[in-house]
Amino acid sequence: MASEKFVIPIGPQHPALKEPGHFEFNVDGEIVTDASVRLGYVHRGIEKGAETRNFVQAEYLVERICGICSHVHATAFCLGVERLAGVEAPPRAQAIRQIVAELERIHSHLLWVGVAAHEAGFDTLFMYTWRDRETVMNLLEGITGNRVNYSANVLGGVKCDIGPEQAEAIQIGLNFLEERTRHYLEVVSSDAMFLRRTRGIGVMTREDAERMGVVGPTARASGVPRDVRIDAPYLLYAEHPVELVIEEAGDLEARFKVRVRELFESYRVIRELLTALPEGELTARIPRRIKPAETISRVEAPRGELFYFIKSNGTDSAERVKVRTPTLPNMASVLALSVGHQLADVPMILAGIDPCFSCNDRMAVVKRNGDEQVWTWEQLRQYGIEYYR
Amino acid sequence: MSTLTALMALLFFPGGLIILLVGLAYEWADRKLVARFQNRIGPRWFQPLADIVKLLAKEEVVPQGVHPGLFVTLPVIALSGALTAALYVPVFGLAPSYSFSGDLIVTVYLLSLLTLCTGLAGANTLNRFSLIGATRTLTQLFSYEAPFLLALLGPALAAGSWRISAIADYGADRWLILAQPVGFVVALIGLMGKLELPPFDAPEAETEIVAGALTEYSGRGLALFRLGKGVELVVGLTLVAAFYLGGVANPIAFFAKTLALLGVLAGLQSLLARLRIDQTVGLWWRYGTILALVQFLILIVWKGLAA
Amino acid sequence: MKVMTMWRDALDGLVKSPATQRYPFVRAVAPDRLRGQLHWNPESCTGCGLCAKDCPAEAIEVIVLDKKAKRFVFRYHVDRCTFCAQCVASCRQGCLEMASDAWELAATDKDDFLVHYGAEEDVEAVLAGAPAADAPVAE
Repeated sequence: MASEKFVIPIGPQHPALKEPGHFEFNVDGEIVTDASVRLGYVHRGIEKGAETRNFVQAEYLVERICGICSHVHATAFCLGVERLAGVEAPPRAQAIRQIVAELERIHSHLLWVGVAAHEAGFDTLFMYTWRDRETVMNLLEGITGNRVNYSANVLGGVKCDIGPEQAEAIQIGLNFLEERTRHYLEVVSSDAMFLRRTRGIGVMTREDAERMGVVGPTARASGVPRDVRIDAPYLLYAEHPVELVIEEAGDLEARFKVRVRELFESYRVIRELLTALPEGELTARIPRRIKPAETISRVEAPRGELFYFIKSNGTDSAERVKVRTPTLPNMASVLALSVGHQLADVPMILAGIDPCFSCNDRMAVVKRNGDEQVWTWEQLRQYGIEYYR
Repeated sequence: MSTLTALMALLFFPGGLIILLVGLAYEWADRKLVARFQNRIGPRWFQPLADIVKLLAKEEVVPQGVHPGLFVTLPVIALSGALTAALYVPVFGLAPSYSFSGDLIVTVYLLSLLTLCTGLAGANTLNRFSLIGATRTLTQLFSYEAPFLLALLGPALAAGSWRISAIADYGADRWLILAQPVGFVVALIGLMGKLELPPFDAPEAETEIVAGALTEYSGRGLALFRLGKGVELVVGLTLVAAFYLGGVANPIAFFAKTLALLGVLAGLQSLLARLRIDQTVGLWWRYGTILALVQFLILIVWKGLAA
Repeated sequence: MKVMTMWRDALDGLVKSPATQRYPFVRAVAPDRLRGQLHWNPESCTGCGLCAKDCPAEAIEVIVLDKKAKRFVFRYHVDRCTFCAQCVASCRQGCLEMASDAWELAATDKDDFLVHYGAEEDVEAVLAGAPAADAPVAE
């Protein structure tokens, strides 16, 4: 009866997706029986592009991997390159990087709450979270001069200082946002109609989460204590730590709660940093050519662990830059979780991992007739060896 | 009634053209109110009209694999059903153009014609979103139709007539909302289900199935469906206001009461998250129907005791 | 469990003026640090070309007509610029800045995006084809 499957295609162009990705859901009535995904529609060759530019230029290129968490990409790249060069950014620069990173997290999480609410057909929550998100975007614009790709970092430090004027603006903005966030936490954890769409939907147990290697808030909503800011502190996260926000339930409600509660941690850390902003230089001098070495740089993006591998070869550009964005490990959970759920829940489950397809697309496998789609580890290894021979 | 006045009533006022325009105006009011509830500006006053003009001017693409005759006629049937229903209802606070004993049932069925045509239009195409949307539309039809009808029969029972004008006259003296609050709520929510307004917009949930049953429609067909929906909005609001809110004896009362109801509808739309189709069905059969039925039984018993 | 937890927001929204900015009619004040169009101050420029070298979008060309006489033409492609301000950070002489007031940079003609800074006669010489447009920039 394979030919009688009723397949619902979602994407590459679909109102539920803000970026192109292709999902196929086999449904039996309203129940999803099987799911598959095809990614790679927005493969932009950024890794290769980063190798053909010098380190300074590449920083802005990798910043454009993600439009929402741009700063965190730039930070990961800068931290890696600085480590290769044996330079450390001055403490004040690190504090400012951390403040911008946390402001960006606020912006990203508020955006996510809105998107996920929209998927559930709750447009009022969507409109209000996005209205309040303007506050943090204005703050970022006031600090860095840009609203989206802030370009706050340079190799060796930051471009923009946070003076008393900006600090005060941030405090005012955070006070407003904190009050609103308290309200949103109440909405996502108590609105009966909304809970009908989130409570008990897409439950991922802790075992599942660990087996699928899920990262970020998606993992923390399933009770997995995994946060790079705590596990491997970078910037000033060792001196000004965030507390782990964790929920045990593993359903969509928990994912909402984790992200909204994380906002409070961000507010607290930003305030702490503003009162204890270290004095000093904003940039450290960094050599243009970097001796051959390789390094790994990990940071906690709003969506989870962001991983950079950078290899230098003695010139002013990188030999290899490898990026793994948090959507990739989370994507498998969408397919696993949607089976058995109603079609109506699928967009919610998909949005629940906060997917970012264009961040994700590093490699495209074109399906040819007769090609094996499932590769063993040995085959994959062999393919890699052959490819680079 | 002479032929000329009959034609006037059918084509121009109160049926026909005017009710189409009023339907668009109500659609605008609804969109504007929802926008303001969400702290947005919302559309300008002519936006629904501009949409319709644009759609009417556009080429209608008949997709492959559909029955072309059905594809073209279904929107016409849907709109004419809604327009015909308008003739039996005291729109604008005027007496209905036509009236006969039992026209309430006919009106309710005529109002369902739009939903039925939407479902058929979706089932007619090969589009997978349309097919799912059609299934959901028809599922939803079967869930709200019974309680909605029961909620309208409550006042009919109290008035002792199934003629809309008679019930409206009976309702004009008293606010039946006080005597039959459950019926009022069920009728109002039923109207939202009928019009597929949030939270009952699962049949056209854009984040799941794009535009539901009407995904393949563009141009004229879509325009007619949307006009039909506007008319149905006015007719439905008129029915509820006339039956439950002390009647719509004059135009001022008509606009005041229907617009107030529209405000409530807009508020509910913006405050509630979309229900899944199984939740919609569960809500209607578990609560809506039972409550309406209980009230209906109480009315019958009370009538019997009073007699 | 509550229903309609956002009722207060909805009522507020009804009374308050909409949050939507009426942009083309009302222009919000841009913050001081907004990165708008790039401006070049020729006073202290040494023509080192570091700005052009570091520009990730290749939006800058420094055309050296005569290094001794400090005759430079600074060609700036507004359409390519990503407003990252790396050039501002790279310039050791501090002769670059991004204007916070010039941010409505859309144009209908591609030529409008090409901006030349420099002495008038130098710009004319460049436009007349002294070194060809898009020629390799001086180090």
